[in-house]
Amino acid sequence: MNKRLTELKDEELIKEFQDSNTLEAYEILVKRYKDSLMNFVYRFVGDRDACTDIVQDTMIKFYLNKDSYRSFAKFSTWIYTIAGNLAKNELKRRRRRVIFSISNSDDERTPQIEDKMFLSPEKLTDGEIKSEIIEKALLKVKPVYREVVILRDIQNLSYEEISEITGLAIGTVKSRINRGRAQLQKLLKHIYKE
Amino acid sequence: MKTIYNEKQNKHSKMIKDLQNLPRVETPENFEYNLMTRIKNKNFGNIEKAKPVFNWVRFLAPSAVAVTTIILLFIFLPSSQQTDNPLLYQTQKLDSQSIVNKSDAAGKEIINQPSSKQNSNSAISERSVDPNYPIQNISPRIPFGASRSVSLDDYISGGNNPRNLQRGNIVNSGNESVPSDRFFVVENPDQNTLKKYRAQVDSLKKAQMKADSLKKVQKMP
Repeated sequence: MNKRLTELKDEELIKEFQDSNTLEAYEILVKRYKDSLMNFVYRFVGDRDACTDIVQDTMIKFYLNKDSYRSFAKFSTWIYTIAGNLAKNELKRRRRRVIFSISNSDDERTPQIEDKMFLSPEKLTDGEIKSEIIEKALLKVKPVYREVVILRDIQNLSYEEISEITGLAIGTVKSRINRGRAQLQKLLKHIYKE
Repeated sequence: MKTIYNEKQNKHSKMIKDLQNLPRVETPENFEYNLMTRIKNKNFGNIEKAKPVFNWVRFLAPSAVAVTTIILLFIFLPSSQQTDNPLLYQTQKLDSQSIVNKSDAAGKEIINQPSSKQNSNSAISERSVDPNYPIQNISPRIPFGASRSVSLDDYISGGNNPRNLQRGNIVNSGNESVPSDRFFVVENPDQNTLKKYRAQVDSLKKAQMKADSLKKVQKMP
């Protein structure tokens, strides 16, 4: 791959892609963001197969609508916005599917977090199980709070970046993050004593 | 406000730390390969290009509807002005100065109207106007002018032509132009003026009769 291109910043790469339609520049940006987007979408949606499709659709949307990117915004916030919108659409689709679903088999039911209460405290401190519990608890937080908590506490984005991605005021972002954390804490009260 | 948020963050610090330490999820190995294959095959599925924010069609269509509605309202909205019933008109008297002879209570007007059908005889009509009779005040068009007048001298001498006769609405005598207002003479017609006009008309009649008799004589073998 062109060494010169790999040294460029995100904004310079997309400009190169916009002006000269350089596919290499596109591929470099895909490589840089595919994993972080995958992590974000997976924590938000919870389904691995669905989130792979969502991230692919994000990259294709980026490819088709490259000219809609304006250089005054950060590229990261732009691509996170696309991924976030696609993830929310997927959640809405799932909610509609749940309403109209007539299947009621026990196999499809996800295990409740409270089921893990019966495990001994030593097993609860095990990292893998703890992570699984936290992931499942995170999926139970309201989507509007979940999104901002993931972007802040897992993706380590700044309040300004989160504000640009979500289109909310910084104050609203901070308040939603706190409410999301409070909800999560409540769901995990047996792990984190207040 | 900042301190409140910081305190809350400290409250959840353990949980935040565990969130940050959650295992990172990565894309499958063939992710890029599948992506570039889709792009090369242009297999974009339901993903469409983003529509521009401003679309002329989206702007023009509703604005055209709004404009059409406004135009139709102006056309079909009943007018606030009520049409006057002509039967309820209160007729107004004309200005008496132009019609009525002050010295004579029952003024008479003589209107000479050359008829286009009667070439040999001059049409004389008299109309008596009762000054007390209410007449509508109508603003007329005045089709008079020097070009529409008939020269009496020419008519007597035989120098007139049908075109001349057909044009005329008033009769000129000599070089004087008759001041007129509508069909009436502006100046108050006094007896002497009236006699003068009558005399002129009488002389015209006599001249015409003489001319006819002479023609008959000439025709006789």
